[in-house]
Amino acid sequence: MITVAPEVNQANGQMKLDLANLSPEQTALEIKNLDLYYADKQALSNVNMLIPKGQVTAFIGPSGCGKSTLLRCINRMNDLVDTCRIEGEIILHGQNIYDKRVDVAALRRNVGMVFQRPNPFPKSIYENVVYGLRLQGIKDKRKLDEVVEKSLRGAALWDEVKDRLHDSAFGLSGGQQQRLVIARSIAIEPEVLLLDEPTSALDPISTLVIEELINDLKNKYTVVIVTHNMQQAARVSDQTAFMYMGELIEYADTNTLFTTPLKKKTEDYITGRYG
Amino acid sequence: MVKQWFKSGSPWIWMTGGAVSISLISVLGLLAMIAWKGLSFFWPSEVVELELNGSVAKQTVIGEIYDREMVPKSRLEAAGYDLSAFDAEDIERILVKTGNREYVELDFRWVLSTDIMKQSIPAKLAVFERSKNGNFYGYVDHIVENGQVVENQSVDKLHELVERAVDLNDEALDLQNGDIGHINYELERLRLKEKGYELDNALTDERVADLQAQRVALRDEYKVFEKRLFELRNQAKRDQVVVRDMRGELVTLPIYQVLDVWFPNDMGTFAKVVHYLSQLGKFVSDDPREANTEGGVFPAIFGTVFMVMLMAVIVTPFGVVAAIYLHEYAAKNAVTKMIRIAVINLAGVPSIVYGVFGLGFFVYVLGGSLDQLFYPEAAPSPVFGTPGVIWSALTLAILTLPVVIVSTEEGLSRIPSSVRHGSLALGATQAETLWRIIVPMASPAIMTGLILAVARAAGEVAPLMLVGVVKMAPTLPLDGNFPYIHLDRKFMHLGFHIYDVGFQSPNVEAARPLVYATAFLLVSVIIALNITAIGIRNHLREKFRSLEH
Repeated sequence: MITVAPEVNQANGQMKLDLANLSPEQTALEIKNLDLYYADKQALSNVNMLIPKGQVTAFIGPSGCGKSTLLRCINRMNDLVDTCRIEGEIILHGQNIYDKRVDVAALRRNVGMVFQRPNPFPKSIYENVVYGLRLQGIKDKRKLDEVVEKSLRGAALWDEVKDRLHDSAFGLSGGQQQRLVIARSIAIEPEVLLLDEPTSALDPISTLVIEELINDLKNKYTVVIVTHNMQQAARVSDQTAFMYMGELIEYADTNTLFTTPLKKKTEDYITGRYG
Repeated sequence: MVKQWFKSGSPWIWMTGGAVSISLISVLGLLAMIAWKGLSFFWPSEVVELELNGSVAKQTVIGEIYDREMVPKSRLEAAGYDLSAFDAEDIERILVKTGNREYVELDFRWVLSTDIMKQSIPAKLAVFERSKNGNFYGYVDHIVENGQVVENQSVDKLHELVERAVDLNDEALDLQNGDIGHINYELERLRLKEKGYELDNALTDERVADLQAQRVALRDEYKVFEKRLFELRNQAKRDQVVVRDMRGELVTLPIYQVLDVWFPNDMGTFAKVVHYLSQLGKFVSDDPREANTEGGVFPAIFGTVFMVMLMAVIVTPFGVVAAIYLHEYAAKNAVTKMIRIAVINLAGVPSIVYGVFGLGFFVYVLGGSLDQLFYPEAAPSPVFGTPGVIWSALTLAILTLPVVIVSTEEGLSRIPSSVRHGSLALGATQAETLWRIIVPMASPAIMTGLILAVARAAGEVAPLMLVGVVKMAPTLPLDGNFPYIHLDRKFMHLGFHIYDVGFQSPNVEAARPLVYATAFLLVSVIIALNITAIGIRNHLREKFRSLEH
């Protein structure tokens, strides 16, 4: 049996939220009756959840349960899969992001994403960070410099790279690259940051640094993280959603979910009976 | 035992290694042979004086030994030689380049070694390289400067006079091609302008007067240059050198026809190296003479490189854009697959077919229409409706298009999707991702395609013969006359030059070394173009080295 120290979350001194009835001010995202199909195969069925603002929400579950798929729905990365078909709604700022009038590029500027493997661009560290700003046509050197420093500090990378901003990003270690990718994402100041197993390709020390970073990030951003590592979910998240076979089985604050799960499947998973 | 050996795999290693060695040896052997045969031509080989007596009348032969071969005695006897005094099976005969083309029947002759009474290499034998009639071999008798036999009959004096004449000739040629050529070009433009006005019914009296005034001004200018030209030519004609040739007769050579004079038998190794390098330099920088059998190949080098670069400029954007559409935008269905297969198969079409297409479509249809639309005043002589460098570049561009498309597509498919997703997740559109991330990352692959395209295009001759290459182009496609780049002009090409010199020339024996030298040069040019492209590619690769996990 995995025991989770209850003080991890209580250390943040937060009130427990009523996840079923969040007020609109507390809600970052609302997922409503979401079904997703790859060709004929259903990958998500009837997912309903409210993701609270300014907190870290973790998706856990066994491989193939649909947790990454659900995450990728939030910034419409699933659009890139030809055979993918989505029904239902995800509401951000009172608007369904799957509405035909939504500008996908604008949505993604608002909902950033970090992937499993670090994927810096073949450019300098500086150019990696300002990529999103250059896309928006910002050319002012002072403004760019400012954002680079702010973002790299925000991603706890500034002290390590401040003397070699114009060197290739490929010269960084895997953990540094992943933090660079996070800096790149927060440089355009999204509201929501999606992290898709951000530490699965990293060593334990880099993982620790990123986890600390996630803790800092939630003061400014709503963070949604997918992880297959239950301890990580327990360490970093405020809410945890357990998914199984494309369904949302249980969604509760992390402490409750790991200590007193309501559903048998959740208990089986967190006690390691399958997964 | 044998079974064990087969099982161990060493026969495979031997076989594969052997195949590599054979390929390597054939490539290196080919290069070595071309280089040796071509480059040794410029070495100042010694000139021999042979005294002959025997089956021929007593005579002296002076020249360079070009070749030796053994001939069966019976064959020579059948040809009417009396060789009863010799009992060898085979008799050696020697090919001598005797030069002096206007005084002897042939500037090459075979000499039987049995006829040679005496062979010597006199230090005083001179070789004159002339602008007409090839080399002249003989002894300098005396030098005539400005109608007077000079006191100082030294070699230095001769060199000085030759140099003076060469300089004057160069100046005259510069004047002729530069200023006078420019005036002729301008006069032609005025003529076309007048005709253009006439066709538009806009030829007012005012314009006629204006054109006439310009013409008069140009003609006045022309007269000044013409006078200067004749002056230079007359000055160049001042001196002569009298030479005793192998017949023992005195021959007067005008020095203005002599390009260089040297005494190969009297040269040390250093002097020979210097002479060799200067001859090599002249080969790559001079214009051809004497129906391409002598002189340099500069216009051909220039034409080859210019055309290939023009082709690269045309084919790269087209190929890259087509590959991007096929790979990024086209639906992944049967039609796309068909198109892709068709593109790949296009590379297998024989190049002469592209030549025919180029002539039929580019030259006649496209060029003809351009002439009708934009150059009606030049009719009936065509401007673009005739083979030219632009049509050659276009023809080779479609010939090499498949190569560029295929390698660009390969490069695009090698880019990890994580990088694309990273860009899209930052709010980039697909087009922004393409131009900011994907195409730069695929640029090494694009360069690979370009390298293959250049290698193929630079060696292609057959289609060019239909769409723009000529034996002798009077002007380069790039010069000082507005608009400076003349895409309608015909051009010379090293590949065609090899064919022309080797198989179309009146003096095949004399031209053979030039064929090798030109072939070696063509290979060098292609290698140089490729090394440049490979250098750029390696630089790009280093810059866009993608994540290797």
